[in-house]
Amino acid sequence: MFSASQFDSATAFSGGGFMSSQPSQLNDSSPAPSKSRDSQGLIPVTVKQISEASQSGDEKSNFVIDGVDLNNVTLVGMVYEKVERNTDVNFILDDGTGRIKCRRWVNETFDTKEMEQVMNGMYVRVYGHLKSFQGVRQLVAFSVRPVTNFDEIPFHFIDCIHNHLRSKLKVEGITSGNPSSISSLNTAVKSEPNGSQAPSSNPGYAQYSVDGLKDCDKLVIDYLQQHSDMSDERGIHVNELSRELKLPLDKIMLSLKTLGDDGLVYSTIDDYHYKQA
Amino acid sequence: MDTSNPAVFVNGHLIPNFIGKKVRAVVQVNQCDGGVATAKSSDDCQLTIKGLPEVPLLNYIEVIGIAESSNSISAEVWTDFGNTFDTNSYNQLCQLANGEFKSLFL
Repeated sequence: MFSASQFDSATAFSGGGFMSSQPSQLNDSSPAPSKSRDSQGLIPVTVKQISEASQSGDEKSNFVIDGVDLNNVTLVGMVYEKVERNTDVNFILDDGTGRIKCRRWVNETFDTKEMEQVMNGMYVRVYGHLKSFQGVRQLVAFSVRPVTNFDEIPFHFIDCIHNHLRSKLKVEGITSGNPSSISSLNTAVKSEPNGSQAPSSNPGYAQYSVDGLKDCDKLVIDYLQQHSDMSDERGIHVNELSRELKLPLDKIMLSLKTLGDDGLVYSTIDDYHYKQA
Repeated sequence: MDTSNPAVFVNGHLIPNFIGKKVRAVVQVNQCDGGVATAKSSDDCQLTIKGLPEVPLLNYIEVIGIAESSNSISAEVWTDFGNTFDTNSYNQLCQLANGEFKSLFL
């Protein structure tokens, strides 16, 4: 039985599938920049960034960009030189910053069908795993989908910039707290001032998730955060939230629903008690 | 991996920095005859695009090609982005990709 304080989405989802498993930093008080929790996610990158990524250790698939370990990446670019074979489909992805070889293994009918839709000269969104094979970096794709809304292209590159800033802030924030990186983050994205003051037990959390929350959602999550007690597994009753935050119950319930959908809170013994995830 | 021949995100004001180089721009085509099109860049500059086939007028077209002069591009590849496209975001991306975050692109 784990207590609620140990529950952390990073640990919960890092076990299976294609996520890299890595121990959570939650209970570790000393910050370790290289083992950032971000390394578990899917990171938007450009081919240029991949070409400059440093390879850590002698493992074949251990890349670091902006001081963050990276395994699974997403790119948007154009398909060239598609070659279909019985077991796999190879192509070159050109995202305008460079070209990288991609390979999609086709085991299931689903894989074949998805790859049939992909034509040369088409814009696609690729999700894949970065690997080094005979000294050449390539992408083992597990999803290749045609771009249908072309706003996804600028979005992807803005996403790359956003992610770059966030990693930079995290790495520099731990080592030097360089103010220039903070100011650049403020200009490019709406950064949450609370991010740097988040409880030390959960450093990545506030700046990652509070972005874009509505006022009411934020009040609720802040209250749950401040009044979380490891020993109390029941959490906070909705009436208490309503009373303490001086907000109508239906608003509280709505916020809890939104936060629950985002995986930030969860109900405990019944639908009226909540804890922060 | 090959990053030797990138296509730089450009708007009208950035083209002069890349004459003779490969660029990419999203333009709205106003007029198109005989392979030469008149188009508006994401920052409202008038551009001449060469080598473009017949494309739907007023649609947003991405052209990738060589910047021939400060207001013309010779297209090698083009993609129809349709008739709704957020040119403002694209324009800001052009500026970021050539400014503070150039290292991610070039």
